[in-house]
Amino acid sequence: MPLLRSGIVRAETLVDIRGVVPRGIDGASIGAGTTLAELECAPQIPDVLREACRLAASPQLRNMGSLGGNLLQSTRCWYWRLKWPCRLHGGDECFAHEGEHREHAIFENGFCASAHPSDVAAALVALDATLHTNRRELPVSDLYHLPRADDRRTTTLEPGELLLSVELPPAERSVYLKAMERKLWAFPLVGVAAARTGGVTRVALAGVAPVPFLLQGSLEDATPLPRNAYKVDVARALVKRALAALEEST
Amino acid sequence: MARLIRTEKEVEGRYEEVWLVVEEDVLEQWPAGAREIVGRPATRIDGLERARGEAVYTADLKLPGMLHTAVLRSPYAHARVARIDLAPALTMPGVHAAIGPGELDVLVEECGFHGAAIAAVCADTYAQARAALSRVEVDFEQLEVLIDPDEAVARGQLLGEPRVRERGDLDRGLAEADVVVMGEYTTQVVLHNSMETHQAVVQWLGDSLEVFISTQYIWGVRDEIASTLGLPGDKVRVVCNYMGGGFGSKNGADDYTFIAIELAKRTRRPVRCALTRREENLATGNRNATIQRLTIGARADGTLTALGGEYVNATGWGGWSSPVEGPMQMLYACENVKTTTWAAKINQPPMKAFRAPGFVEGTFGLESLLDVLAAKLDIDPLDLRRRNHAQHDGADGRPYSGKNLLECYRRAEPHWERRHEVRARSTGTVKRGVGMASQIWYGGGGPPSYAWVRVGSDGRAAVVTAMQDLGTGTRTAMAQIAAEELGIPLDHVTVSLGDSARGPFASISAGSSTTPSMGPAVRAAAADARRQIEEIAAQRGTPDAPLAEIVGLLEDAQILGKGGRGPNPTGMQVLTFGVQVAEVAVDIETGEVWVDRIAAVHDVGRVINPLGASSQIEGGIIQGIGHTLSEHRLHDPRTGQILTTSLDAYKLPTFADVPVIVSELIDEPDAQLTNLGSKGLGEPPIIPTAAAISNAIRDATGAEVHQLPISREEMLRALREAAAREKVGAPAGV
Repeated sequence: MPLLRSGIVRAETLVDIRGVVPRGIDGASIGAGTTLAELECAPQIPDVLREACRLAASPQLRNMGSLGGNLLQSTRCWYWRLKWPCRLHGGDECFAHEGEHREHAIFENGFCASAHPSDVAAALVALDATLHTNRRELPVSDLYHLPRADDRRTTTLEPGELLLSVELPPAERSVYLKAMERKLWAFPLVGVAAARTGGVTRVALAGVAPVPFLLQGSLEDATPLPRNAYKVDVARALVKRALAALEEST
Repeated sequence: MARLIRTEKEVEGRYEEVWLVVEEDVLEQWPAGAREIVGRPATRIDGLERARGEAVYTADLKLPGMLHTAVLRSPYAHARVARIDLAPALTMPGVHAAIGPGELDVLVEECGFHGAAIAAVCADTYAQARAALSRVEVDFEQLEVLIDPDEAVARGQLLGEPRVRERGDLDRGLAEADVVVMGEYTTQVVLHNSMETHQAVVQWLGDSLEVFISTQYIWGVRDEIASTLGLPGDKVRVVCNYMGGGFGSKNGADDYTFIAIELAKRTRRPVRCALTRREENLATGNRNATIQRLTIGARADGTLTALGGEYVNATGWGGWSSPVEGPMQMLYACENVKTTTWAAKINQPPMKAFRAPGFVEGTFGLESLLDVLAAKLDIDPLDLRRRNHAQHDGADGRPYSGKNLLECYRRAEPHWERRHEVRARSTGTVKRGVGMASQIWYGGGGPPSYAWVRVGSDGRAAVVTAMQDLGTGTRTAMAQIAAEELGIPLDHVTVSLGDSARGPFASISAGSSTTPSMGPAVRAAAADARRQIEEIAAQRGTPDAPLAEIVGLLEDAQILGKGGRGPNPTGMQVLTFGVQVAEVAVDIETGEVWVDRIAAVHDVGRVINPLGASSQIEGGIIQGIGHTLSEHRLHDPRTGQILTTSLDAYKLPTFADVPVIVSELIDEPDAQLTNLGSKGLGEPPIIPTAAAISNAIRDATGAEVHQLPISREEMLRALREAAAREKVGAPAGV
């Protein structure tokens, strides 16, 4: 809806998909139509996902917003939202590079410095969740596509393809930590999701790259822009705490 | 009786000498302390109407046949409209009229900021107007953009001459100092973002004009429109019964009103021009950014010997130079003070007054640097402020009409004492501390303002005055004053306001002036009615009979009392004072700042409604926290275009950001000021909040923040700087 209002998306007709997208939690499977409010209250959902839901948006928005919708949300990059002819809009410049980029990406930001805003996506990447669409099954990381010159999409969803459900592997321990500009109702400056599944710990970050960012190397490999190096400091502190939390709760 | 006087009139720190006809103020003040009604908490007399959605705001108004307007605004920070063709818009469905540059003064060809109004279209629905607007063909010639305020000053691109205010000799004061501290502080652009966006609905009735508008100044809008259109004042009726806030941004008629008036004239239909939230974030004014380069000199005992400030107001394409140097000039006793203030004309949306303009920004710089001085001298910050307490106005020696700042400090002591216990709760990564800051501001109000009070045979009274209730609870306060004076219950008083055709002239609601300007007029009118009732009682031979019994004899006759606001005391400074103590926690690894508690002690003379007063304090502090921690109107540094145009990008505080707020008022009538002794409280509570928080951060961590908002970036920078200082061996905590 915000994209319609901003004129980024145009539509003659809106189709209500609530009839075909499952809603609710069935064992390890979560319908893509399940609201964030429902997830944050469900005891069987891993901490990282519950917390990511609880720290997202406002209570009113979480009562309406669905898991699928959250995963497919677009960046908050102001240049993109204001329809500047940026690379994501098919242009030949990332205006954030030389412009106002304090909320922008510190990883994978060479082509486009937009930051992915989804707390929930980072949580699912850390959990290594599997998505089911009406056409395929895929690891959540494969839903996202790092935009580059020859393919500027940010997701791999095809026209007519619908996200139906998410399947969670059993996590032993997990945690989500989030830094934002106020105490509530803000997108992450940095969100850190950490989960241990089958003895393997995965850490994924929100708000630091154009897609949810699975941390495989070191935070010291970040390539911050002149005015967002603080995000590396914040990420370092939150990753340390998230890993400590996984340890503590053993 | 009316009297002609020459007096100084002050609104938000701007003075002018004027001739004024004022009413004598013959009433004695009530003794200090709570009365039957005044001084006791009263819930809002219009609270239910508002809560039930029955109160009609300008935004609710639907007149038969009313058209809706969309405004084309410049997408560039500096551009000239090279060609514009409105014709394609006029062929669109539902469209009635379109106007462009050259057809109305507020529609410009040279756009000096992103958001400048260029053209407007009105149609049967707002959606049709918007759709038509997108068909207007415009070619822009882009012009050079200047957005760096220092560069504008260097180039001499200024709004007016620099303002130099000097007393004593700054250099001598610095030479006499044992310690000199210097610092550069910057503050950001913040927005009013009132709940109700700027809007007006207008209709022509023959040669008369009705203007329904969300405004802080009914009479100012009336006169501005009348003089612009060349109409007699009483041909313009301005109505504002309820409004959703203004914070200084709704003092004038503005582009949207004149657009609606012109379109209504052309279409012979009522026309609404209501700005969107996005326009609200572009073109309806702001608290401008400032750069403050400050120097303080003091003797070893803490006595201030020199205060120097060079201030740059990043004013924007228009507006005025806010008194950012005011706190340095006024807050403390110091013989040698020199400030220079430049107003940089840059390609940014023009500033407007915003809740204590200049003083909020200036207090942040001055009070932050004063704590640096306190640490350097190893003097308790509260003691340092006491030591430099001003006994009279520093600039011209005028006495204060009333000043209880020392009493505010005394009342702040228990809150200040908490610092030991607060600091002790620090952990390895979360450091806690307490900081304080003083407040000085105007708020005395002034003449003229008038009210009528009508008492009928049912023993009920109506207060009639063409003032506006900005949303601050003025209606209730005025009802309390009339009820108190007449000796009748509060629910026997109605207040009829908000309509220039139905009541006498009333003050602007700005500069914390509504209560001190209007309250004495309402009391005078009620006293005039009471005197008439007493005369009737005396004639009847029952001088002590209750009011209800006397007016019960009236049948259709009415008692009509009228009252005016008397003059302010001559030769005196009428000011408000206060202090706030903030408790914060800082996560030194993530730069997160929590404000846990703010205690506010303010001196604003007699308090009419303690419940309304505590709401004002809470509102001011919450808005102050937004200013301090999260709000920031951002622009692209290369083009000057505004980037935060919606409330998800522009971060107002939420309830989760609100700390424990403890508010206290001295509640001592100002014996020199009017028949009430009351001053205004709209602005004082927002003034010291940022400085108290930044000083608490310093107390907690040793880090000196120099920028608002105190973002993660600024907090982590200040922490790194403090750590580096400690490494090179400077004393800890300095």
